[in-house]
Amino acid sequence: MSRMHLELADGKTKYLPGETIEGVAFWELATTPEFLEVRLYWRTQGKGTVDLEIVRNLKFTQVGLQDRRPFRLEVPAAPYSVSGKLISIVWGVELVSEPEGEAANIDVVISPTGEEVRLDRTPAK
Amino acid sequence: MRARDNPFRTEQVLRVRYRLALGTWDGLLDRLDALGRRAAIVGPQGSGKTTLLEDLAPRLRARGFTPRDLRLDTETPRFEPGALDRFFASLGPRDLILFDGAEQLGWLAWSRFERGSRAAAGLIITGHRPGRLPSLLETSTSPELLEGLIEEILGGRAPELRTRALFEKHGGNLREALRELYDRFAAAT
Repeated sequence: MSRMHLELADGKTKYLPGETIEGVAFWELATTPEFLEVRLYWRTQGKGTVDLEIVRNLKFTQVGLQDRRPFRLEVPAAPYSVSGKLISIVWGVELVSEPEGEAANIDVVISPTGEEVRLDRTPAK
Repeated sequence: MRARDNPFRTEQVLRVRYRLALGTWDGLLDRLDALGRRAAIVGPQGSGKTTLLEDLAPRLRARGFTPRDLRLDTETPRFEPGALDRFFASLGPRDLILFDGAEQLGWLAWSRFERGSRAAAGLIITGHRPGRLPSLLETSTSPELLEGLIEEILGGRAPELRTRALFEKHGGNLREALRELYDRFAAAT
């Protein structure tokens, strides 16, 4: 049975634009992959079509069945993590083995305040 | 409620797979073989034609075919110039075309398409009406099916959602019914 795991430095999951996401990718796979990749991406969730964009990626080649690799990904300026009633933009860090497509994921928050921007709440007067 | 917490958000709804009302997947694939692997999935809007087509793909792969997807809809009702010629030129003998929305093609275009597709091992199309190819399966819906899908999406919890009225309001279109539930949940909290 395969196991894949991501650990972010200090367990941090909230980042400011321009910061660096640091972590370690671990895996124990049943079949030797061609490569593994850590991806920083955002996806939409909500009522409409799901959009997704991979913003940063780091490829690990010549990897074994069982290994661990540190990674660093620079957080882009935008878009921010945001949620309204119709749409959310959710950021994630994903570890994927190719070509099997097995994956591990951690959702993270990216915004100037370190908190998800909420559009579904009335601002305080 | 945040969009990402809404149980009826698109990614959750898309996780619900097609439920064969009668028979088995193997039986359906045997029927496809009996039809010369050229057949249509027919049914009204929101009755699961696209989902069924998607769910056939891995099963066709398991039988040694290579599914080749094509899609037209009201937003993209025709192929880009030259795209079909390139597609036909790339077809291999084990390729099986899964063409969602084939009825967007007019009859002349369909006739050309049907001829061009003969190099493939098979062709399955979806449409609202029978006639272009022999029907492999006619998709249909019911209030009970809608209720079952809602329970699956909500993980077994089935609050009072007046499923039958919802089903009738949308004329049996499950996609639209589930979209309304998204709105209801978004507005409720």
